[in-house]
Amino acid sequence: MFRAEVGGAIFEMESASSGEITTWLVRHADETVRAETMPLPNDRVDVWLIGMPFPAVVQAVGTGGYSVSPEVHRQRSMGGQVRALMPGRITSVLVKEDELVKEGTPLLILEAMKMQNEIGSPISGKVKSISVHEGATVKKDSILITIE
Amino acid sequence: MKLFIANRGEIALRIIRTCRKLGVRTVIVYSEADRESLPLRYADQRYPLSGSTPAETYLNIPKLVNAAKDTNCDAVHPGYGFLSEESNFVKACDENGLTFIGPTRAALEKLGNKLQARMTMKGCGVPVIPGSDGVLADEHEAVEVAEKIGYPVILKAVYGGGGRGMRVAQNAEEVRRFFRITALESASAFGRKEIYLEKRLERPRHVEIQAIADRHGKVVSLGERECSIQRRHQKLLEEAPSVALDADQRDKLNYAAAKGLTAAGYANAGTVEFLLEKTGRFYFLEVNKRLQVEHLVSELTTGIDIVEEQLKVASTESLELSQNEIRVNGWAINCRINAEDPRANFVPSPGTVIRYHAPAGPGVRIDSALFSGCSVPEYYDSLIAKLATWGVNRSDAIQRMKISLDETEIIGLPTTIPLHRELMRDERFARGDFDTTYLNEFLPRLNSTILQYEKFAAAVAAVGKVKSPSKRNGMNAAKPSRWRTMARTQLMAGPNGSGR
Repeated sequence: MFRAEVGGAIFEMESASSGEITTWLVRHADETVRAETMPLPNDRVDVWLIGMPFPAVVQAVGTGGYSVSPEVHRQRSMGGQVRALMPGRITSVLVKEDELVKEGTPLLILEAMKMQNEIGSPISGKVKSISVHEGATVKKDSILITIE
Repeated sequence: MKLFIANRGEIALRIIRTCRKLGVRTVIVYSEADRESLPLRYADQRYPLSGSTPAETYLNIPKLVNAAKDTNCDAVHPGYGFLSEESNFVKACDENGLTFIGPTRAALEKLGNKLQARMTMKGCGVPVIPGSDGVLADEHEAVEVAEKIGYPVILKAVYGGGGRGMRVAQNAEEVRRFFRITALESASAFGRKEIYLEKRLERPRHVEIQAIADRHGKVVSLGERECSIQRRHQKLLEEAPSVALDADQRDKLNYAAAKGLTAAGYANAGTVEFLLEKTGRFYFLEVNKRLQVEHLVSELTTGIDIVEEQLKVASTESLELSQNEIRVNGWAINCRINAEDPRANFVPSPGTVIRYHAPAGPGVRIDSALFSGCSVPEYYDSLIAKLATWGVNRSDAIQRMKISLDETEIIGLPTTIPLHRELMRDERFARGDFDTTYLNEFLPRLNSTILQYEKFAAAVAAVGKVKSPSKRNGMNAAKPSRWRTMARTQLMAGPNGSGR
């Protein structure tokens, strides 16, 4: 059995299965939940809990201590870089280069799994470049539009 | 009978199961993206189509008809979505001597699209929601009609279905903006871009009647389903029966549904959807002229295999079932498990399922084509599993659902499981006190629950990483921490002192 302390709260864990994915039973206060972990290269580990992924970065600090932070998941945009949240197809580009946009202004429509997802501008600024055209197939995380 | 299945995923598998029971031979068609999918293992024959997009495959009428003829099939089951309500497909089947498991073309024309269905129902005295009486020419006409009937309004794709191709607009600016998006969505999903609009009712419930009709005008009702738990008009949870109906209202809805289907000359399993106001007033919403996603809850409460009845009606033209044989027994709930990310506003999350473990036990049914290692392609619908539970009463079904959701393991992609988990713990849901607007109010609660579990996740992350470290710990600089968490782990001696 393992014991972990997070911000003063105690969690007790036992593993229920091992392999590429380890299953854990985690007890805290009166609650026991099942969790799965899958270690990844570098300091990353994927945790699954209540049916959700909690991707994390774990680093040793001092003796027996670890700092855990959520992997800044799927970095939607870096400043004014608008990236594809999922693979799909661009059905419509709603702005032109040099156009001024406000935060939230619809920039384009990305279709995936039959849904039309309107993608808004992460910041207010000017459309610097448009990297896609209507009908283009895009990969996940590829840059679609840059705003500055 | 040799049946051609013009669909994929869980519904293809669902249809194959009934066929195997009946001894009906099946041919499954599949796209490149689906070449390792589960239904292929259980069909008698497989027929590949080149390409992966719906247009190249499951929406491609010439290819499908050719495949069905090539494999000597005599009937076609379209499942739901794709070509299930497409009269051109029915026509192509008719012309090629293939029995379409669904309504006739004449019936489809009368209920052909949402707008025509509206006019057919209005014509036989079933109440309809105030709205436009025809296709809207452009966004200007849309604004004009909206101003006349008052906001909010719902823009609807005439050829839409399955909750897709609909947007609520609160003002003229939104009508203009959503008109474009709805038309695009409709053109891409249904191949047509016509739009009409209806007034949006205040906090209605969505209640629908599952019926089966034969070619001689006989209609049998399998009772109602309550489908008010929706996000963006997309049903997420369905149950049968509905807490909102008393015996008198149930009779009225059954009567209206039967009247409408008879007027259209409809034969097949079909669903008549209604919106129900708090006052008890109800309005016709639309007819789903196909096997529906949520048909399984009605199967659980009545014991009837709806696909089997569809096949019988199509082959013998008449229904053996009679209304007094139908007993609605107990309560059933279905949770739609979609590959969507609850953290990122439910954007689709296609990918690979690394591990899948299905729940089981008394009163538990799961309809899914998942398996460990399967891929969830980006080309198709995000529904990956339907988890349904049956109980002697509603709270019994809820308890079983709670346990079943907890047992379900879908590792690899985010799904709607956390949302259902939260709903099963919700007091208002437990009381049956909700309408079609409830889920939106409820969603912030889900986010706070996810936050609550971040400490659990931090503890597990530290132990999980340390216990089975990956090959090489790189020198990743720590990213700014939102969890601001320091997990201190220690190994305790196990019960037998082994310190596992």
